[in-house]
Order: sequence, then structure tokens, then C-alpha cells
Amino acid sequence: MGIKDNKYYKEWIKDAWPYLTGAILLSVFQIVTLATTGNPWGVSGVLANWGAWLYEAAGGSVDKWYYFSSEGARRTLEGGFLNHGGSIRNLGIIIGALVAVLLASGFKIKKIKSWKQIAAAVLGGLLMGYGARIGFGCNIGALYSGIASFSLSGWVFGIFIFLGAIVGSKLLVKLFM
Amino acid sequence: MKEYELDCYGEACPVPLVKAQNKLKELEVGDVLIVQIDHSCAMKNLPEWARKEGHNVEVEEVDDGEWEVVIEKVK
Repeated sequence: MGIKDNKYYKEWIKDAWPYLTGAILLSVFQIVTLATTGNPWGVSGVLANWGAWLYEAAGGSVDKWYYFSSEGARRTLEGGFLNHGGSIRNLGIIIGALVAVLLASGFKIKKIKSWKQIAAAVLGGLLMGYGARIGFGCNIGALYSGIASFSLSGWVFGIFIFLGAIVGSKLLVKLFM
Repeated sequence: MKEYELDCYGEACPVPLVKAQNKLKELEVGDVLIVQIDHSCAMKNLPEWARKEGHNVEVEEVDDGEWEVVIEKVK
């Protein structure tokens, strides 16, 4: 009997965990994050720093940018990737997801089907990044942490992300079917 | 009883589901539709929808991260 037939392998490693389990674990981890870092869980703010570091590595400078003009932001940028808690956390998420999928023998590099797909991904990604910064967060920082902090803005964000998803879905069906 | 294949490799949700829904409409009762997917959320929502419609569904893992959802049109 190989490991793939073992019922614990199937339940814990291969198959997806129940939604309720995921919800409870996410809540526990965001409480830990808030308690240890003093800030609610966020993902997109970290990506802005990654962008700045890449830009500086390529020779650019963000010194005159308003977004990075505060004391805290400057210190974070100067501290670098390894000293930044949020960056390590995001890295952990990426590595954790990779480990989970490798253990479940589900790793696959998916092929790209068409140029339309690339264009849509680039455009969608740019819109998401832009929206996440002017909204001061993404579905995690603005929606999840916002609502968890009893912030009305979290709910407003939720309503509009829903409306945006409706528009996006209609476009998807129209352009990719 | 004919077999049809739907290649949805590389497509993100909900494209495989909508394509399968449209294709299934064209099939006759007793025909089989094999949907090839590599997206794990489609691996869940496609069989769920097909079973809710009353069809017979089987999911086979053909390779790492690749599944074939075999749907037999029942009504």
C-alpha cells in the first residue's frame, strides 16, 4: 500500500481542507500577525516595497516619490528585504503554497493558451496593483483586515470588489469563450 | 453514445465550467464529455455543478496537477 492510498495522506496532504478549517486557521494566523507586528495582515503594501527595491536595483530612485516620503517608509526601504517582516511573511506564503502543492503531487507549470491571455493578465495585474495601493489594501489588507477591525471601509471595499468581479466575469465570457 | 473531449488546460476558473456547460447542451443523452483541466478550483466546481444537474461524474487524476472530469449526460 503506497503513500497515495493512505487515508491520512489523502485527508491532510492531498485533498483540500474544508472551508471552515481554512477560515479558522486564517483567523488564528491574522491574530498572531496583529499581536506580533502591531499591524493587521496585509500583502499588497509589501509588493509596493518589492517594486521599489527592484526599481532601485535597476538604477532608479524613489527618493522623490510621495508614497515613500514618510520616515517609516524610508527606514523600511533602507532596511532591505531581509529585515522587512512583511516581505518574509509574503515569501513564506509563496513557499508554503509551493510546498503544499508539491506534497500533493499537484505541481504543474501551465501553458499559455493565447496572446489574449497574456494581455488580460498584464492589464488585470496592473489594475489590481494600482487599485490595491489607492485603496490602501487588497482583498486581504483592505477587505479582510478592514472588516476584522470593524472598519466601514472594509465593507465598502467588499461591495465594490463584488461589482467589479461581475463586470470582469462578463468580459471574461465575452472575450474568452 | 459518443465521447467528446474539451481541452481546458491553462484556463482559469470559471472558463472551464462555462465551456463545459455550453458544450454539454449540445450533447445527446448518453453522450460523454471529458473535460481536461489543470486548475484545482475547476476540479471542485465542475463536478459539483454537473452532479447537481444530475449527471454521472468521475474525476481522474491523469498527471501532476492535471485532471479529467468525465461527465455522462443523463438527462
